[in-house]
Amino acid sequence: MAKTKTNTEDYLRMYRQMVRIRTFEDNANQLYLSAKMPGLTHMYSGEEAVAVGICEALTIDDKITSTHRGHGHCVAKGAEFKEMFCELLGKEEGYCRGKGGSMHIADQSNGNLGANAIVGGSMGIATGSAFTSKLLGKDDVTVCFFGDGATAQGLLYEVMNMAALWNLPVIYACENNGYSEYTKTEEIAAGSITARAEAFGIEAHQVDGQDVLAVNELTQKLVARARKGEGPFFMELMTYRYHGHHVGDINREYYRSKDEETDWKENKDPIIKFRGWLVEQGIASEEEIEAMNAEIKKDAEEAVAYAEAAPYPDQSEVDMHVFTDIEHALARNTA
Amino acid sequence: MPHEVIMPALGMAQETGKIVAWQKSEGDAVKAGDVLFEVETDKATMEVEAQASGFLNGVRAAAGEDVPVGNVIAQIGSEAQASEPVAPAAPETGSAEALPEGAEVIMPALGMAQDTGLIVAWHKALGDEVAAGDILFEVETDKATMDVEAGENGFVAALLAEAGEAAPVGAPIAVISAEKPSNPVQRSQADAAAPATSQTKADSAPDSKPEPEPAKVPQAPAPKRTDGRILASPKARRLALEQGLDLNRLAEAGHPQPFHVADLEVLRALPEKTAGSEATASRHLTAELASDGFAHFAAWAAETGGLSDAAALLAGLAAASLGRDEATIAVESFGQARVFAVPAGPFSAITEAQDETAPDIILRDLRMSRVSTVALGAEEAPVLTLTRASVGLLITLECASHHLTASEATGLLSEFAGRMEQPLRHLL
Amino acid sequence: MREITLSQAVNEALAEEMRRDETVFIIGEDVAEAGTPFKVLSGLVEEFGTARVVDTPIAEPGFMGLGVGAAMTGSRPVVDLMFGDFIYLIMDQLCNQAAKSYYMSGGKLNVPLVLRTNLGATRRSAAQHSQSLHALVAHIPGLKVAMPSSAYEAKGLMKTAIRDDNPVVIFEDKLMYNDKAPVPEEEFLIPFGEANIKREGSDITLIGTSSMVQVCEAAAEILAKEGIEAEVIDPRTIVPLDEAALLESAKKTSRVIVVDEGHQSFGITGEIASRINEKAFYHLDAPVLRMGAMDVPVPFSPALEDITVPTPDAVAENARKLMSGELIHAA
Repeated sequence: MAKTKTNTEDYLRMYRQMVRIRTFEDNANQLYLSAKMPGLTHMYSGEEAVAVGICEALTIDDKITSTHRGHGHCVAKGAEFKEMFCELLGKEEGYCRGKGGSMHIADQSNGNLGANAIVGGSMGIATGSAFTSKLLGKDDVTVCFFGDGATAQGLLYEVMNMAALWNLPVIYACENNGYSEYTKTEEIAAGSITARAEAFGIEAHQVDGQDVLAVNELTQKLVARARKGEGPFFMELMTYRYHGHHVGDINREYYRSKDEETDWKENKDPIIKFRGWLVEQGIASEEEIEAMNAEIKKDAEEAVAYAEAAPYPDQSEVDMHVFTDIEHALARNTA
Repeated sequence: MPHEVIMPALGMAQETGKIVAWQKSEGDAVKAGDVLFEVETDKATMEVEAQASGFLNGVRAAAGEDVPVGNVIAQIGSEAQASEPVAPAAPETGSAEALPEGAEVIMPALGMAQDTGLIVAWHKALGDEVAAGDILFEVETDKATMDVEAGENGFVAALLAEAGEAAPVGAPIAVISAEKPSNPVQRSQADAAAPATSQTKADSAPDSKPEPEPAKVPQAPAPKRTDGRILASPKARRLALEQGLDLNRLAEAGHPQPFHVADLEVLRALPEKTAGSEATASRHLTAELASDGFAHFAAWAAETGGLSDAAALLAGLAAASLGRDEATIAVESFGQARVFAVPAGPFSAITEAQDETAPDIILRDLRMSRVSTVALGAEEAPVLTLTRASVGLLITLECASHHLTASEATGLLSEFAGRMEQPLRHLL
Repeated sequence: MREITLSQAVNEALAEEMRRDETVFIIGEDVAEAGTPFKVLSGLVEEFGTARVVDTPIAEPGFMGLGVGAAMTGSRPVVDLMFGDFIYLIMDQLCNQAAKSYYMSGGKLNVPLVLRTNLGATRRSAAQHSQSLHALVAHIPGLKVAMPSSAYEAKGLMKTAIRDDNPVVIFEDKLMYNDKAPVPEEEFLIPFGEANIKREGSDITLIGTSSMVQVCEAAAEILAKEGIEAEVIDPRTIVPLDEAALLESAKKTSRVIVVDEGHQSFGITGEIASRINEKAFYHLDAPVLRMGAMDVPVPFSPALEDITVPTPDAVAENARKLMSGELIHAA
């Protein structure tokens, strides 16, 4: 745990963002379980320190690419509950006008280039985003979030190779939550994950993904260096997902024990740990934290209620947004 | 359809195969997969299996023979036949029953664009003795119904079309034999239709030069539709619909399907056959009078009543036969046509029509001509034609079916014939 | 007007657009000093440097994915895929990412990317370097597909593609790189979705794409000597497709043959034929014919390869059959 506090507001914001993610996911889980939410969704609960620690080290101009387990990244990068819940419920006011849903939330106004439902699908996009930064002489950095499961995709190695060759300002952030869908990571990943990046000459770090300050501190350093053209970098963030692979993955004892889950939840929870530190450091009182939690809870409930009442997109939108310059893609062909 | 057994191409550069031995004999039952024969190619001797089940027929290559690859060497048929000919038999015309010897009577070409003639009635029965001038049958063409004479002396040995049937122009429809036939033949055109069609197709097959001529024989065999549906391109159908053209008429005319837009030209050029045969079917009736009473009447009327215009008198009699108060009658004689307005009342009131009124009846007086019988077909109005008979007078009524019903036509002719026979009696 | 090769036309288009817009860059295998195996890009790296003419490792999914991300963030990449056959390698990046980004984001993240690749058999390159796979791409909503039929189209369509805010796949026929055509010196663009009537005729419409436009024109020459006036239409882009122009011609001539070098089954020819059937049915005097490449992998042997693609003689022969009313596939 980092020993000094430099900016009380930053710490409180980090805490707040982690609680917002947890609260968002609790509500999303309830929406799904009560059959109010279509489709399926993947909970970020347990991994909050990763998204928050990293995104708090980024500016609004920095970019991220996200994953199917992407609500945490989206919140951490600055998204609003209302638009997010609307998107989850397929409503017109959603970030993607209901066209993306849980697995494709994109909030480009905050630099989120979108969640990606293809495991490993966004590695090229993140690298290309970094390429633009270099090509156009900008100083923004792109963080590519992906899970341990995605390290098995060949695309990662193709783009790390190019990013290393061209010193692109991209940070590959591997959230290692121990499971590749329904399989233990050790069963799908040979050798060391960081060593794979190192093979391309990429500086790689392994960090405790439950320690938001540790994640944040490392990210700050790497982002600063990436801006100077010292990228790319690789981070392996050791974390844990509290839920199954997706919300319906209830009976999962065949791949992991309840004891293991309980241990992480009780002893390694990033929010509990950071809350204790904040109180201990005198940054916030228990009452202040409880008040913050309650306020976030209320925000989320209001956003859910808003989203539930919000209208669906008009059916005429079905062939909109296929092309930028053709308002209704099918109008031409069905005349 | 028998399965052909072919000398197979087995070797690399093999042109012929030598039949080493047949494993099945002519007439044997074979199953697909049975070894039929052994063949020696450039490389080896191989067994060749039957590709179909049935009976081995028509073996035309013996053991020891070299046969070019691809040649038919036998057939596998559905029935055992000691010696089924390998080459397809020449198409048979008609049934196996041979026609009696004698002179063929042919369906004559009478009309303009006539392909067939409809036999209205046979006037002679099978076995009847006929003279050359005897009327053998009545035929309806596109314009009229006509009597056709036998043309030969002898006996009706065969009738090859039934009354009510159409026969193609040029087709034999009867045989007249010199001797009384021992077994006269009676058939219908339906019996003859199938082989006739296949004959036509076979003839047209080699003619396959692509040339988009509308009325041409089809290059590819036209698909035969038996369900009454017409094959036509969507555009041809649409244009036909828009222009009120009936594709059925093209089909009836035997024009090859599928129809395309170009075929609509053919359709437009078709004679108004369907319409004509229905709406303007001809009626043709004759009445023979033992004596021409009119000549005496005309002389009498001129002498006693001062009615010297015989044509006007004829018009009066014709009008009276119609049973109307007023009528317009055209009288043609010696190539001159005059139109009379005939009011109710005495003959003296008959005048020549001033305006161009369409006549109710055309009366054609051919008594002074050499014409003995007429069959000119329907015209714009019913036509009564007077011709001289060997003794007396022949009156022919011709009209379209829409002019007069059958009973009106017989009524008119009877009335007119009666008046012509005894004009005075009818005047009373 | 001066005549230049298709290869030069593409090169000019890229150079002009790169001069006009500094966000345009080229990325792919051996695009810089090598100028691609077909030498289409020769000289560009000298003018624009390796920062904008970027040689990549042999990693098609990688550099395609990179292109998508670059396009999302303000660049206009021209991704160079050495052979159209390699489209299979980049399918996820092209079809799951580039094609869907704008839609999935509800109109927020567009991908102004050009994928430049090729098609065409008879180069004796066998089954993995000879395919014409534009139908695969045209099938995916969100991708525009341009198919230049000459140097003129190659230049005009490439410039339009680079300025388009959507992902565009351009298929050049690799056998046409040295074919010359008149191309104006001055700048011009060819709008997408506007077919070009290459030759007017009243008897039959021949719709061709890419090099098949030349095949159709040659067939039209043959037919003209026989008194058959064929209209030749080049859609130029198959997405968007100038359906109106194709329908208008179909209605005019009543007979249509669609010629395309993609495999015939489930391909462009079938799609166009079907639209004509649906929307011009009552104007058709003959079935709309498809003429695509044979549904076989492209064989190596010249004796075999040459018979897999439509030829002018084959198109003319089918045109004759349609004209004579002969049913090619009798019911």
